[in-house]
Amino acid sequence: MTLWDLKQGTSATVSQFKASVEASYRTRLCELGFHPGELIACVMAPSLGAPKLYRVNDTVYSLDDSIASMIEVA
Amino acid sequence: MESARTKIALIGSPNSGKSLLFNRLTGLNQKVANFPGITVDISSGKSLTGDSTEYLDFPGVYSLHTISAEEKVAVDTFHKALETGQLSAVVCVVDSTRLEKGLIFALQVIETCRRHSTPIVIAANMVDVLDQHSMQIDTQGLSAAFKVPVLAISGKTGMGLEHLPPCIAATSAPTEPFSMASDIIASDDSLTHRQAQQLANTYGPKGDLLINAQTRLDTFFLHSWFGGVSFFVIMYLLFQSIFTWAAPVMDAVETLIQFLASVVLPLVPAGMASDFTADALFGGIGAFLVFVPQIFVLTLVVGMLEDSGYLARAAVICHKPLRLFGLTGKSFIPMLSSVACAIPGIYAARTVDSPRKRWLTYLAIPLMPCSARLPVYSLLIAAFIPAQKTLGGLIGWQGLAMFGIYVFGIVCALLVTAAVSRSSVEMRSDLPFVLEMPPYRLPSWRPLLRNAWNRSKHFVTKAGKIIFIVTVVIWILGYFPNQGASLGDSWLGTMGQWIEPVFASFGLDWKYGVAILTSFLAREVFVGTLGTLFGIEGAEENFVSLSQQIQDSGLPIGSGVALLVFFAIALQCVSTLAVLARETGSWRLPTQLFISYSIFAYAAAFATFHLVEFFV
Repeated sequence: MTLWDLKQGTSATVSQFKASVEASYRTRLCELGFHPGELIACVMAPSLGAPKLYRVNDTVYSLDDSIASMIEVA
Repeated sequence: MESARTKIALIGSPNSGKSLLFNRLTGLNQKVANFPGITVDISSGKSLTGDSTEYLDFPGVYSLHTISAEEKVAVDTFHKALETGQLSAVVCVVDSTRLEKGLIFALQVIETCRRHSTPIVIAANMVDVLDQHSMQIDTQGLSAAFKVPVLAISGKTGMGLEHLPPCIAATSAPTEPFSMASDIIASDDSLTHRQAQQLANTYGPKGDLLINAQTRLDTFFLHSWFGGVSFFVIMYLLFQSIFTWAAPVMDAVETLIQFLASVVLPLVPAGMASDFTADALFGGIGAFLVFVPQIFVLTLVVGMLEDSGYLARAAVICHKPLRLFGLTGKSFIPMLSSVACAIPGIYAARTVDSPRKRWLTYLAIPLMPCSARLPVYSLLIAAFIPAQKTLGGLIGWQGLAMFGIYVFGIVCALLVTAAVSRSSVEMRSDLPFVLEMPPYRLPSWRPLLRNAWNRSKHFVTKAGKIIFIVTVVIWILGYFPNQGASLGDSWLGTMGQWIEPVFASFGLDWKYGVAILTSFLAREVFVGTLGTLFGIEGAEENFVSLSQQIQDSGLPIGSGVALLVFFAIALQCVSTLAVLARETGSWRLPTQLFISYSIFAYAAAFATFHLVEFFV
């Protein structure tokens, strides 16, 4: 299951990144809080495939399907 | 040689309120710092307290580990300033309402400052928001943990700022690496992250109050229906405000110019001096000054939307549709900034981290309806569209026409990027869409008004210089050799007749042709040139508005609409071309855009004229 599959109002823990995510971008995602072991909540899943809003501790980020589907959660 | 002035760098993540703090510390004494050979703007400003302190506002970055060329330039500049001993101290600004994110960055900056033996102070910004919700941050605890001073401040209200300069002066460079009692064994990144999380949990504000409030508003502004409707209402109000809020001030400016003309003209000796004052000064420059209030209002409203946090939501709403046109939601902010002016739009495009999407954003920016087009649009709309209102006075036809021509520019921009993104396979590298959602905040009026004022001032001084020179040259060419007796027989008239066939194809006489040619320096020059030309020709005793004179000249509506279309597309701005060349590192893209958009503009204006004339 990936982050993109999370339904609005549900949470899951980041398990790993898919291999296609570049190393530098992986570091940035970790710095933003999308860190393996971190609990992420999907706070908003707008319709029509718009980027979804994910809460990581005290910050909310918007991620589109191209990146959210590269982050595996459990 | 090192400057005697004390230089203090402000560094922080985007949305940490760093620029608001910088404005508080420096007031109006700001300029863009001169760091040769780099393409990031670092503002510098003298301290308001009158001492020899100079603050440097570095661009906001999320991390000292960079992922884009722009971030790398900003971070390298910071490192270089530290290495060469240019900085007396560093102030790392963190948003205390979202402490964990700020602390990850702060830990990196503290370590970097330690390595370069540079004093550092952590400014925990936005404590006014915490106060409003009876929340607190334990700065003493954080100071003890970091072994560097942490101050609770508010760049918005000025709270705690009096302690910042003495604290900076008293602090010394951190000497030992930051460490915490932690049993976590992991990579550097992982460790920094865990440390920041632990520190934020121990010393930061508790509870979900702020984030819950933010989520409630997001539920509305990103709702499938309400979100879309509110987006269109906000954008529509933006364009109506240009007319409804600015109109009284524009009328006042016009009345003032008329009054000045009536006072000054009788004092000037009759003949050439009087003709010059009436035609070139009041006719040419006066016609352009009338539009400054609209630029002020536009900059103010765009700034208000940005500071409120709404623009990030608009980027989310626009991401999927913009992706159809090869762009990204992040292109929305540079494109909207370009509605004020293409130049800040081009700079804002740095936030588009994907090189390919940024390049496509550059193609869209010159087609966005910038404020320099506003005088031309306003003039033509005032001349051709009746100033009537409909739906009980809610919607004005002129506002609607303005909305229409703005939408036309935006549609052209999107069609160009869609076509190019599908045909061009250059620069395939791409970065994904990850955008921080800043909290919703009530905008702070003072910096917004200051920004709008600076933008208007910049417009008057920069464009005003060009307009003055062009106006004088045009007046001389139009006045001689027969002392204004007949404009058609003047030097300008002769030149105009050479180029008349080019613009005659959409029903314009040579006066408009000359005005279009001069407007390739800057679009708004069109209004000044036309004002001067009509002034020489008409030689009225009284100041008559230029739109009235256009109406009286009997220009066909097809030509008016063709002119609007021409100005919506053509890239008539020397500054935009120069800034694009600077940002892209070569003149290749600006040259390509200038030629292709000129041809596109001419062809579209030609087609529009014939279509309108056929149907009307």
